[in-house]
Amino acid sequence: MTHPFEKIFSYQLSSRLEETGVYTLTSQERSWLKSMLDHPAASEALEERTIAKLQECTLDDEMPDLLDGLEEKAGNAETQTVHPLLAPIRRILRNRQGMTIQCMTKKGKLNPSQPGLPCKLEYSMVKREWYLLWYNSATRSPMNTRLCHIVSVEEARMSRGRYEEMSARAAGLLEAPRHEASVEVIKMFNGELTRILHAFSCFDKRVEFDESDQIYRIHLSFTGSESQYVLTKLRFLGKRVRVIEGDYLKWRMRETARKALALYGIEKESAQVDETDRKTQASLPAAGGNLTV
Amino acid sequence: MAKESFDKEIQFLRLLALSGGGYDRQQFAGRLGISVHTFDKTVRRLREISGDADFADLFRYGYADSAEPVLLFLYRAKSMKESESRRLPLLLTALRGQPQTAAELLDACCEQLPVDAAMPDEKTIRSDLRYLEEIGVVRREPGGRPYRYILNNELTDCLSPKELIDLYEFVDIMANTQIPSVQGYLLRDNLKKALKSVVPAEEWDDGLLEPFSYKYHYDARILDEAHLYTLLRMIHLRRRISFQYFSPKNRKSYAAKDTNPLFGRETEVRRESTLPLKVVYDHQYGRWYLIGAASKGRVVKFRMEGMIEIEEEQEVPEAYFALKKANLDERLRRSWLIDTGEPVTVRARFYRPGREQADFIEERVRMQGQWGQIVEADENSFVYEIEVNGVTEIRPWLRGFGSSCEVLEPAELRQSFIDEWKEIEAYYDASV
Repeated sequence: MTHPFEKIFSYQLSSRLEETGVYTLTSQERSWLKSMLDHPAASEALEERTIAKLQECTLDDEMPDLLDGLEEKAGNAETQTVHPLLAPIRRILRNRQGMTIQCMTKKGKLNPSQPGLPCKLEYSMVKREWYLLWYNSATRSPMNTRLCHIVSVEEARMSRGRYEEMSARAAGLLEAPRHEASVEVIKMFNGELTRILHAFSCFDKRVEFDESDQIYRIHLSFTGSESQYVLTKLRFLGKRVRVIEGDYLKWRMRETARKALALYGIEKESAQVDETDRKTQASLPAAGGNLTV
Repeated sequence: MAKESFDKEIQFLRLLALSGGGYDRQQFAGRLGISVHTFDKTVRRLREISGDADFADLFRYGYADSAEPVLLFLYRAKSMKESESRRLPLLLTALRGQPQTAAELLDACCEQLPVDAAMPDEKTIRSDLRYLEEIGVVRREPGGRPYRYILNNELTDCLSPKELIDLYEFVDIMANTQIPSVQGYLLRDNLKKALKSVVPAEEWDDGLLEPFSYKYHYDARILDEAHLYTLLRMIHLRRRISFQYFSPKNRKSYAAKDTNPLFGRETEVRRESTLPLKVVYDHQYGRWYLIGAASKGRVVKFRMEGMIEIEEEQEVPEAYFALKKANLDERLRRSWLIDTGEPVTVRARFYRPGREQADFIEERVRMQGQWGQIVEADENSFVYEIEVNGVTEIRPWLRGFGSSCEVLEPAELRQSFIDEWKEIEAYYDASV
């Protein structure tokens, strides 16, 4: 495998080729594919026959053990790259049809089958797991279900008109409201800015720098279901950052600190504060809400 | 080692990706140590390559909610001569169906080039064919001279439309979830065209191209793949390397003071030299490290984003490399990430979320806790134990669990958690 900067990949060439419908495949791409065919996910995603054909076509494209020099650290034990339900759900999505779906709850209880519409298959790089975003037409609610909790999915035919109507309603419901929050980098940690920015780089964000005070502020935008992961990142970074706007996150961070200190036997007297907490909690958006099955 | 260096563009894009395009032009240019004029010029060039009008918008994570890797266009930045960018598409089109000789290709080319264009000669065509054959895009048909060439697209030609869709979806998943991924993304782009050519227009659905979406990606990770293969090849060849290194600790590119050396004139930057042993990708931050051998059995660690102008140096004997590599593997065995400090046993009690809820805490510890073990458990909590090199790298992970994690040992780590939670509490005490 050579350098990834090849003139065959150049935008000048590809924009000209675009009109002709001609495409090119390099040995770099084929040897990448060859190494991916060795991954256990290949046999789950592709038919044996297809794998055999692809292996035949990539015989001469050798990437001589280069990847031996590469190691991944501090990641999740990868539980799931390809899930057996991806293919049947993709088929229903491509056919633009409804489905009958049966799921388990988080605690393993079996729910009755439900009618619905699949909307999107989403992979979380954090959980290393697949989710189905779907519309439950019986309860008229948007759902987000881990594929490992789905027991069965079957296509349920519906007319194009009904599909379009339901699909529009689902899209509106699945578009979750976004929340805004601002995080300030505590000045004495400005030296760690790249690391802090890297940690937030998986979110929708904008960084602002206050020249006069030499303060960096990170403005985040996220949905309710993402707020839990924003919190994890804030705790991950600890005292380096402080939430300056976003009451829910501030409240959760304070709660975390108090409860953590209580674990170590350091309690704070505050009946009055608890009262305030409850009020704050009631007026704030729920993290995750009832979306997750 | 590439003739054309993209170090400036990489640096520029990393800053854009990390800042979400939030700096103004002046601040941006200041941080990179370039003039506003140079800043505008670089933006113009990158915008041309990316084909996108609102450049900064690309870096908002939620942008278009798409699996398209926003920074991939970096790898399309290699420039080519205008004449070449006209000639190659003609050659590739002619090579699609029938095997062709260089002379036949020359005719095809001359026929189709505009009259006012400079006409290539057969030598140029031969050199094009050599290049295309070298990168595996065309292959030479069996038989003697004159050689005949054909476009090498067997990979897609041998598949049925259904198989092609399966392959596209597989490549989409693997490019997005595995590393390295740049070649996978490039292949994905080509497979899109293959799909368009086999699926009849009346059955076409744009949904075919975006089968899945991926959440919480570190976009900037693919920028470092620019140097990845150079380094992996040097490891494979057991060769020492030398390079210029801008340590993130000393670098002022985000501190708005010094000129960023990457963009400045040639300053006196010391070249580093090492025997590369391993590349490590850190999933916690989406960053890359090179680990090499230094004198007296020491190991040295470099952040890949700070390495430029990598040169290959002399080869070392296999036995020597094997010794260094074995030493490194042993020392990294207990590294949470790459810390090679003294091993210490960390014990922490994790609290389960409560009866009504599924136990996501234990699930997360099992999934992310690497080689650590759960050594005690009851219905309310469990104790996790791990022997790890130093506490620095595991600390953020433990802290990420908030009040579901109580550090038990070592005592200093426990105390430092108490101190830190006190500080954090003070941040919010008055504010809510």
